[in-house]
Amino acid sequence: MAKIIFDHVTKEFVDDKKGRVKAVDDSCFTVEDQEFMVFVGPSGCGKTTSLRMIAGLERQTSGNIYIGDRVVNNLHPKERDIAMVFQDYALYPHMTIYENLAFGLKNLKTPKLEIEAKVKRASEILGLGDLLERRPRELSGGQRQRVALGRAIVRNPKVFLFDEPLSNLDAKLRVQMRVEIAELHKALGTTIVYVTHDQVEAMTLGQRIVVMNRGVIQQIATPDNLYNKPANMFVAGFIGAPAMNFLNCRIEQKHFVIDQDTVFGISQEYQKLCKPLIGREIVLGIRPEDIYDPHLAPNLKNPGTLHAAVKVVEKLGAENLFYFDRAGVTVTARISAQSRVMAGEHVELLMDLDKVHLFDKESGMAIR
Amino acid sequence: MKGEIKDLKGASFYIKRGLIYMVLILWSLFTFLPLYWMLVSSFIDPNSSASLQFTLVPKEFTLASYSYFFTFNKNVLRWLFNSLLISGVVTLANVFFASMAGYAFSKLRFPGRNAFFWTLMSSIMIPGQVTLIPLYILVVNVFNMSDTYFAIILPGVVSVYNIFLMKQYMTSIPSTLIDAARIDACSEFGIFRKVIFPMAKPGVAVMAIFTFVGQWNDFFWPFLVTKTSTMRTIQVGLSSFKFADSTQFGPMMAGAVIASIPMFILFFALQKYFLQGITIGAIKG
Repeated sequence: MAKIIFDHVTKEFVDDKKGRVKAVDDSCFTVEDQEFMVFVGPSGCGKTTSLRMIAGLERQTSGNIYIGDRVVNNLHPKERDIAMVFQDYALYPHMTIYENLAFGLKNLKTPKLEIEAKVKRASEILGLGDLLERRPRELSGGQRQRVALGRAIVRNPKVFLFDEPLSNLDAKLRVQMRVEIAELHKALGTTIVYVTHDQVEAMTLGQRIVVMNRGVIQQIATPDNLYNKPANMFVAGFIGAPAMNFLNCRIEQKHFVIDQDTVFGISQEYQKLCKPLIGREIVLGIRPEDIYDPHLAPNLKNPGTLHAAVKVVEKLGAENLFYFDRAGVTVTARISAQSRVMAGEHVELLMDLDKVHLFDKESGMAIR
Repeated sequence: MKGEIKDLKGASFYIKRGLIYMVLILWSLFTFLPLYWMLVSSFIDPNSSASLQFTLVPKEFTLASYSYFFTFNKNVLRWLFNSLLISGVVTLANVFFASMAGYAFSKLRFPGRNAFFWTLMSSIMIPGQVTLIPLYILVVNVFNMSDTYFAIILPGVVSVYNIFLMKQYMTSIPSTLIDAARIDACSEFGIFRKVIFPMAKPGVAVMAIFTFVGQWNDFFWPFLVTKTSTMRTIQVGLSSFKFADSTQFGPMMAGAVIASIPMFILFFALQKYFLQGITIGAIKG
């Protein structure tokens, strides 16, 4: 078991068109021993590059990487005591499942009997017992992913690295495998670094999450904190589905002024925060789930009324999504499925003013 | 109507199909003709006048040409052995070197990779005839290897075309397998030997067949660098059935039949990989 430290790690690539590109820019964080850490962000944000640097498959341009107490900058992947599960499983197609599982151990010159015992144990944990003589092409996607997990387990490494392992699976299987990975972490108690672009996976699996964008770490926090206290507009917009609504807003004495028809009183909780911002333009963020149909709203301490000409209603079964325009942007509201509001209606919706997020308009940073 | 499937294909469809089949059959016959003539001519009596003429309809059937072929020169078996040895070594060398070079060019990152690769590729554009004389001078005059196996084998040990073929094939192998093998504590040569090479077998088989056949059929270079009868290959040896005033088709064709047997064996033995190799790209897209 081991912790991982990124100490001012930068990775630059030379791109034919763009010249030198920083895939990871001065990254600093610590993954604690036995922690389940998730890297999340859009494509090209540097999450996979960071993972590959931990694995030793990419060499950082500057900075140090520690696994346990050792600096691993110059160590070959096999010397880092890690195991990795790839997005496309990366099973060796010409080997049987047994040979796939045993391959790493054979390379490490593990005695044959020990290999057999370890493969047997891993295949029992993952329910692969009947498949050992088959080849990867004879297995379903879910089974292949299990083999890929098994290949990591047999090595009993200090650190597990997962590179978008569920993105090739269908939605149902993804949920099932997500649960299995969470259980596996509990059972093995190993440090796990997990890369995904799927925020649901990130929120459900991660004990802490690193949100990245364009090579820069935006925030490192627990799922709760990311959702409730996003550090900036990028995190606020990336975490949560549908994404948070952002409305330009001016702060006046005791009001948020969005436009002529949309003026909200500043609740007591925010008054102290807003005092130095009076007269300034800021961005007000509100999550779709904090907007309510007045007939179905819970008792809100500080409601604000939003006039909405509902353009579209998407019925998702358990809830409806309303889309309407306000102050030049399309606002999304996540309303209970019991709502009778139809597309084309003009309605008044309620906003929970205790749940708004304030952001600096220039920097996009949260105002706290 | 229920249970009735209407044939929507019109007459033009069948005419088109018929024409295509006709062209293909004619083409097949055309391709098969030299083989047929070789086989038919090999059963002609070498002493009869028919042996000196071109014929498609056999007037006789005798194995005399075969016996003539084997007794014509005491080195006939040696020629076959030479061809087998040279083609085998050249094929093995190409399998070894071209597959490793192909792997390096397709999957490893090293300074000057592209420049080196394109320099090699540009050498394909130089016709063989242009390099023949310098090559001859190098092998015969500089290295003094005339009339040796080395003289025939060395220039063919690795072909740029084969490097290109293997590079193209190996590019289609997912790089994550190499990453996975690295994490599975495999050495760099181990990755090539245990992961890449077994996966590249169909491509290697295609290369092996082409190389073997090419080397086996090569006439000019072995003819240039060999002097003694014992160092001849079968293709060079066969030309000795051509005399100043006539050609002994019977024994020559008997020799040709015997000379083509290893190629048939090789093709059928590797046919599975061969077909896989030429279709795999199409299937995977």
